Amino acid sequence: MLCRLYLDAVLPCLTDLADQDPSARAIMGDARASIALRVLGGPGARVTFDQGRIAWSNAPASRASVTLLFFSRAHLNAFFAGVAWAVPLPIWGGWRVGLLARFTKLAARLEAVLNGHTQVLASEQGRRLYTRLSLIAAGLGLAPLAAGDAQAIGTLRTLPPGLAAFRIEGEANSTVWFDLAADTQVSGWSDPPRRPDVCIVFGSLRLAYAAMRDEADTMAAIGAGEMTIDGLIPLADGLNVVMERLRTYLQP
Amino acid sequence: MNSSDNRFKRSQELFARAAQVIPWGIYGHASPVASLPGAFPYYAERGKGCQYWDVDGNEYIDYLCGYGPMILGHQHPEVEEAAARQQRDALCLNHPGPVMVELAERLVSLIEFAAWAVFGKNGSDMTAWSMQVAREHTKRRKILKVADAYHGISPAWTPGHGGLIEEDRAHIHDFTWNDLESFDALLQRHRGDIAGVIMTPFHHPAFKASQMPAPGFWTHIEAACRKEGIVLILDDIRAGFRLNLRGSHKVFGFEPDLICFCKAIANGHALSATLGRKELRVAASKVFLTGSYWNSAPAMAASLACLEVMQREDTAALLRRSGEYFMSGLIDVAKKHGYTLSASGPPALPFPTFDTDPDLRRQQRFCGEVTRRGALFHPHHNWFLSSAHQPAHIQATLAMADEALALMKSEGL
Repeated sequence: MLCRLYLDAVLPCLTDLADQDPSARAIMGDARASIALRVLGGPGARVTFDQGRIAWSNAPASRASVTLLFFSRAHLNAFFAGVAWAVPLPIWGGWRVGLLARFTKLAARLEAVLNGHTQVLASEQGRRLYTRLSLIAAGLGLAPLAAGDAQAIGTLRTLPPGLAAFRIEGEANSTVWFDLAADTQVSGWSDPPRRPDVCIVFGSLRLAYAAMRDEADTMAAIGAGEMTIDGLIPLADGLNVVMERLRTYLQP
Repeated sequence: MNSSDNRFKRSQELFARAAQVIPWGIYGHASPVASLPGAFPYYAERGKGCQYWDVDGNEYIDYLCGYGPMILGHQHPEVEEAAARQQRDALCLNHPGPVMVELAERLVSLIEFAAWAVFGKNGSDMTAWSMQVAREHTKRRKILKVADAYHGISPAWTPGHGGLIEEDRAHIHDFTWNDLESFDALLQRHRGDIAGVIMTPFHHPAFKASQMPAPGFWTHIEAACRKEGIVLILDDIRAGFRLNLRGSHKVFGFEPDLICFCKAIANGHALSATLGRKELRVAASKVFLTGSYWNSAPAMAASLACLEVMQREDTAALLRRSGEYFMSGLIDVAKKHGYTLSASGPPALPFPTFDTDPDLRRQQRFCGEVTRRGALFHPHHNWFLSSAHQPAHIQATLAMADEALALMKSEGL
């Protein structure tokens, strides 16, 4: 489960980190390369650096500049948790030491932002980054949780099918969505594929920040019009419970 | 609250203050989250008959009736006089008053299968206590309930998510309404360990159309409970006295072992009750029951008066007729505008829903527009009628619905 969350919910946050964070862009420089991450006999992902931008894909198969192999899911989890010994084996492109060093630094920066390190949260920009990335990770994490977390699966079974979209007012490209159908559960970070059945909108970055920190009374915020839930409320309510499961896995 | 026309200025001000000192601002079923933030009033000031006024002076024909209690309408003179008379003597003494005995006798005489009665203040008091009585009587652990059914705020079945641990529901098991296979499967799996089955007389989940029992559903469950020695608990808190003065089971042709009442039992005064069979009397005597205000006599006096009026006026029959008239009118108005509306639930507690509205937005808009025009329609919770709703009120409401649907149609909703 945790491995899936790292690959499918945390790693894609690199894209927004690169778009929003000058220090992340400084780490990348003008690199044009790709890194594939593979778990032996398990899932993988690929990130592509292109002159200050980062793209993510869950298809590591095609040729990458560097391929990093993890011997187990636990190995990958330890790497993302910042454990010193959990260095992956570069099975291709190991000579690109500079690229690997940049990737390691980026991963550390991502970890610092998502874990809300004191230094990150000390600035307004840091809090903004934390909020955006937390929402994106939470939204993208819904699909892995739907596939592999017993409690999440139990909750989702009780929910009406539909597409839910979450976003922060005034924050471009902050929409994450989750499509719950009988046979498939898909998450995305982009414009939703159709009109959402329920839209959850945080009226301000300040409120979204507090909500991500579990420091907001979101029910009072809805009553005050600082947050809106438009449409299929039971779906939003249930997904909120599922999102809470993310903390079980990713809380530092 | 994001009302654009200032209709809820005072509600907004109060809510802003509340949000500083009260979790949720307004918590529970009356929370704006559950209704329509911005299109619903948040705070109310006074009520009379089937109407009430919010703190901004907006007037509504009330189709929620305080979420059920106001079966005779707000400020019913006989009920209020009985409560006031009792309160003039005392509000809360060290001992119960004679009225408690009188009320227990009255209820036991009304509910045919019952030999005893106890009292509390809320529906939750009674459902949680009934679960314990079932366990005490059977010396078993398991309680079966219908998925999505509301039985109060006990950790065993609260619809909330916070503060629960796995063990709270380790012995609570859900089956599907009108699905006897799912019920029988649980019966099979936990045979010999099932203490009770708790159910409402019809299924009224929030955010969904209500469902009446299918033919044979209740009799199958009743027979299974009898055969297996399981206590059948009827949660008649929401529907009680609206469908039948003698308990909603009378409408559906079965008999429970325990029946829980609240809401309409005292026309708005805080009172709940559980009544039970003679065989459960000893178990009932072993499960501790008390509360700070549970001996308070005015609500019991109000209940006696309320029962008297309901029996004299045959309120249940009146509500059924009013509900049928209301729902058929609403369905016709919807049809006129090209919408298909279905009236789910019994006429006295109707919940009309649009046939094609998977995201609930049509329902929400409709209820918001009618509420704006002066009749409170809840989009996600069943409605309640009172005996104070006269044909003129219903006709005025239908005119509001007509306007709302015309507007929606013009906007292509």
